[in-house]
Amino acid sequence: MLRNLFYNHIFYDMLNFKRIFIEAVIIVSVASVVAFTYNAFSANGIDPFKKVDDVPTVPSEKADDSHANGIVFIDIGKAKEFFNEGKPIIDARTAEAYREGHIPGAYLLDYYEMGRYMNKVLMHLSMDEDIMLYCSGYTCDDSELLARELYTMGFTKLYVYKGGFDEWEESGMPVEGGDGKAGGE
Amino acid sequence: MSPFFDWPLQASGDGTEERRRERFERMKTKDYIIIAARVALAAVFIYAALQKIGKPLAFADEIRMYHILDIGTPLYIMAIVLPWVELITGLCLLAGFFIRGSCLLLVALNTIFIIAVALRTHGIMADEGIPFFKVYFDCGCGFGATFAWRKLAEDSLFLALSLAILLAPTHRFVLNPWRD
Repeated sequence: MLRNLFYNHIFYDMLNFKRIFIEAVIIVSVASVVAFTYNAFSANGIDPFKKVDDVPTVPSEKADDSHANGIVFIDIGKAKEFFNEGKPIIDARTAEAYREGHIPGAYLLDYYEMGRYMNKVLMHLSMDEDIMLYCSGYTCDDSELLARELYTMGFTKLYVYKGGFDEWEESGMPVEGGDGKAGGE
Repeated sequence: MSPFFDWPLQASGDGTEERRRERFERMKTKDYIIIAARVALAAVFIYAALQKIGKPLAFADEIRMYHILDIGTPLYIMAIVLPWVELITGLCLLAGFFIRGSCLLLVALNTIFIIAVALRTHGIMADEGIPFFKVYFDCGCGFGATFAWRKLAEDSLFLALSLAILLAPTHRFVLNPWRD
């Protein structure tokens, strides 16, 4: 065994591609089993078979007061209404970005670490209330992706503020720093 | 079994020992280069994998930036499995287990990475009208944002190293699972 490990060269038949291919297949198979097992027990694990792409959406120009089933995109005017009425708001950005500044009263629910925050935030929400989500701005789509996830959980009145935190801050709306509702409290 | 398998413990006695010894010494030097390549590739891929394992959504989002796969099962499966393939491949290279199979995978992966990065770079150049050497983005590889030309050069180096290991006639420090 030791000799095999440290001394001898191992010669392969260079034409034995079948063996090399089998090795590669074994590696991918083992990796897949380990990956799906880890994913099943990981806090950030995802269900790869979940359908999140067929959620009905309503663009902001067609958004009115009667909420259609699905995700409605809203502009800053509607976002201000949400804020003034004290309706639940979810910040889909990272904890770092949240701490630097967020819409006052918003819950932190980092889309990429959903498993970590989801239960804490869901405790404060009910499925039949209006919920607004935002991320950094027009170039990010984490708020929309998070809304799709929430839709599959049964939340149907979801409003995505596409302007996001950048537009909110630029328009002089109040901003809160620190942990806020980072822990879902 | 290879005719070299027990050499040089076993003298041939047919007068070719000198030549064989020279050949063995040359091979030995090349073998150490191959071992260095193995360790380097393993370090890169294990590190890259550890940056991505446990963050499938973030990785899926980075893959989506290439506009090759959109949200759906294939994207998520790739985001879950790919980092583990990289990790296990890296560990195999370090351990000397399934070396050629690992390298075949790395050749395939690096080829795909190079094509994907090149296509994305081309897309960014066309959309934003910036020259090739100024294209800068996070490739999602686990090393953060970098210049596209640098990423392409790195991936080409990894591809060359993988090919060198795959095609090397001999390997040292191996756990050979096959009965030769």
